[in-house]
Amino acid sequence: MSQYVNDGMPEIGQEDRRQFLKVVGLTGAVAAGSEFTLSDLRGEVEGETAGELAAMGEAIRSDLVGTLDAGLLGSELASLEEQITRLPELRAMGVPAEDSTEYQQLAEPGWAIHEHLVEVGFFESVEEHLPEFTPEHIGATAREFINTAALASALSELGYSEEELTSTVVNVVNNKERLAMWVPTKNIPAGVEGFDPQNIAPLHQRAAAGTLLWTDYLDTYLWQNEVLLTDTILDNNYGDLKQMYAGLHLLANAAEDLAGSQELSDAQLTAALSAGAAMMIVGQEDLTNDVMRITDEMRAPRTGGA
Amino acid sequence: MASIHEHDAAVEAAQKIEMVEVEDGYTLTNLPDESITQQFDVEQIPQKDVTQEMREQSAKEDPTSWLMYGGGYQQQRHTSADVITKDNVGDLELEYLVQSGVASSMEGVPIVVPGDPPVMYQTNGPNHAKAINARTGETLWSYTYANPQGLLLCCDANNRGFAVHGDKVYMTTLDSGIVALNRYTGEEEWYTSTGDHEIGYSATWAPIVHDGKVITGSAGGEYGVSGFVQALNPEDGSSIWKTNTTPADEWAGDSHEHGAGTVWMTPTLDPDSGMIHAPVGNPGPDFDGTVRPGPNRYTIGTLTLSADDGSVQWHYGESPHDVWDYDSSAPKIRVNDMEMGDETRDVVLSPGKTAWVYTMDAGNGRLLERSQETTQHINMWKMVPHVDEDRRVAFVPGAHGGNDWQPPSYNPETGLMYVNQNNAPHEIFWEEAQYEAGQTYWGGGLNDWPDVSEPQGWNGNLSAIVAVDPVSGERVWRDWISSDTTSDYLWGGSITTATGLTFAGTQNGNIVAYDGENGDRLWQFQLGAPICSSLSSWYDPGEGKQYVAVQVGGSGWLHGGRRGSTVAVFGLSEN
Repeated sequence: MSQYVNDGMPEIGQEDRRQFLKVVGLTGAVAAGSEFTLSDLRGEVEGETAGELAAMGEAIRSDLVGTLDAGLLGSELASLEEQITRLPELRAMGVPAEDSTEYQQLAEPGWAIHEHLVEVGFFESVEEHLPEFTPEHIGATAREFINTAALASALSELGYSEEELTSTVVNVVNNKERLAMWVPTKNIPAGVEGFDPQNIAPLHQRAAAGTLLWTDYLDTYLWQNEVLLTDTILDNNYGDLKQMYAGLHLLANAAEDLAGSQELSDAQLTAALSAGAAMMIVGQEDLTNDVMRITDEMRAPRTGGA
Repeated sequence: MASIHEHDAAVEAAQKIEMVEVEDGYTLTNLPDESITQQFDVEQIPQKDVTQEMREQSAKEDPTSWLMYGGGYQQQRHTSADVITKDNVGDLELEYLVQSGVASSMEGVPIVVPGDPPVMYQTNGPNHAKAINARTGETLWSYTYANPQGLLLCCDANNRGFAVHGDKVYMTTLDSGIVALNRYTGEEEWYTSTGDHEIGYSATWAPIVHDGKVITGSAGGEYGVSGFVQALNPEDGSSIWKTNTTPADEWAGDSHEHGAGTVWMTPTLDPDSGMIHAPVGNPGPDFDGTVRPGPNRYTIGTLTLSADDGSVQWHYGESPHDVWDYDSSAPKIRVNDMEMGDETRDVVLSPGKTAWVYTMDAGNGRLLERSQETTQHINMWKMVPHVDEDRRVAFVPGAHGGNDWQPPSYNPETGLMYVNQNNAPHEIFWEEAQYEAGQTYWGGGLNDWPDVSEPQGWNGNLSAIVAVDPVSGERVWRDWISSDTTSDYLWGGSITTATGLTFAGTQNGNIVAYDGENGDRLWQFQLGAPICSSLSSWYDPGEGKQYVAVQVGGSGWLHGGRRGSTVAVFGLSEN
């Protein structure tokens, strides 16, 4: 479970910073353990050298160019961005009303993008060409993400502070064990518990669908469980959503770029897709632990039936 | 001891059936080719149809009957019979023992239809059933259902009892079906399959009959099935409606097709509102949530449906996106007009494996209170999936709860709910070598006490019987069940009486009568084998006696204990 400050975003300690710098290959230029932001590191980390990320991105681009609906993606991406800017409003709202659809509205553009990407085989292509979440791939993705100002700046325009982006990326990179548990569907064996891998969505689709399913659940969940909720839980809900939606935006932005302007390089495309999925995965696992699994220590006091 | 018939073809067929362990659980062999009914003195059975009105008054308003698994539709397991009191329960005596003749799972509740004499209808594994003179214990007919080859059973050859309507009784079958018998003769009237047993569906619970519908559920959550609740026509078994518990739009990709969410215990029903409160089990696969991201609605919790058409009204989840097998399969209790603060509310009470009692608004599923813990909570929700053996974490409640399927009870006289809880630590683990081999990586494995490391702070008690105030959430009393043996789990349920008593059975063979207000043990009787069932109680005006019945014998998927084949009936005269 992550620890949070008041804004609900992951709190980054000295050990977290040291671990993160080690993964991205920075042990000298920036003093281990010192405060930093992603901007501080830009130019310090070593970018793509072996061309592996670029080769992956090129293969995905080759599969998908011409299949994506640029108009639909552009329109829904704009709607998604509008919804992301509403996150502070949702936090201010507190517990939704009985028939609220506020959180479902947050998810709506994401679902439209998800459905289109499923239809054109986007997720199958991404899973086919991207590797598992190995420490090496996570490190390479993080370095490329840090060095691509355009990816971070798109999120900054949606209200993400430099500190929030930094804590999100550090949180993802430092959760490499949890990410490794999310195995690509192609690597899942058949015949266990009667479960057919053909029924399992590709990894990056699972990351996105999980984000959206959790979001849809929040209207009902928060309303039903108000007697258990505290401000800390609601803060964490907000912070975990910000993580997930940073990831969803990276994914949607990459798909829209692929369909239209193609301004992202092949390596940047790979970094956006991998980092996006990783943020969605870690964010929904944090949400599960911070908001859905409420222990007696976390809950609001019993009211004695009043 | 009641008489035993020298020749009983149904018993003999059932005795030949063997339960054998297979790779993923159990199956049955030496099965009969066709179902067998053996009649004895069936003329003793009064021919008076059971009506909807009789069921609505069962146990709580009419103390002469116990017509349903949970006593009544609301499953409070409460009888208004008042012959046995706190003052005289010490005089309660064993009236008779019925030997079913079939030493198998004994998890059922005998139901009792009033009359002269009252008739008990009783089932046990593997789908063996009897009609019994509830006054004398004499068997009037026996029946064994002919299950097919190829059954897949996760836990045992369980059956938990009959439903009754008109001239019929209804029993679920291990091949995922329902069979209707003429209750006057024991002969089959119809059979309907509700799921394919060859892919893992089965059925073990007692169904209910309400307003022209037999309502049943689904089992097989460890075999990749998709859960459902179904209503059948009680006259011919035809389907009226069927509601899936893993709707496609609530799951990622096609994972809903194997999402489990089975309803493998008896649903609760409120006749006034026509709402069904179904207990829902784990999502599938059990332990790897990464292939089924999101909350996995409608698993683990209470799913409320309209009895008219099966439409979903609300769901409350007790462990969204569960990876610990924390089913919420214990029957729900419906209580109307409960006073909470300044308001009067209709509520649903649910004790889950999470070891809290959830008090929910019956109209919309909103949580009104969550109780104090009923067992210890140690390392709960702390373990990380897919870690290596060195990082296993023992946790409480384990994979059997808290409250597994053990039916809870409620007493309107005390305003308390009574729950039989487990407190044993478990370890769930994922073996990397097997993960590489690709066969059991998301099934993983389970270590049961005592083969786990003892977690810090564990009090050493394996189980407890607990009273909870559902209004305040206060744990009013708790009787830890403790000894040095590993058999002190609780698999059975409890019942309550108008005189403030709570009866429950324990795995070490005691049937105990508690003072429901304070947990004092007022009476107990050693029956010599585990009690893994819930009980029933009724008043027989012809004899002037109140009876308490319980099945005796080990069963279940953990520490089942010694098999038995007995129905024990206790009685106390009002004079």
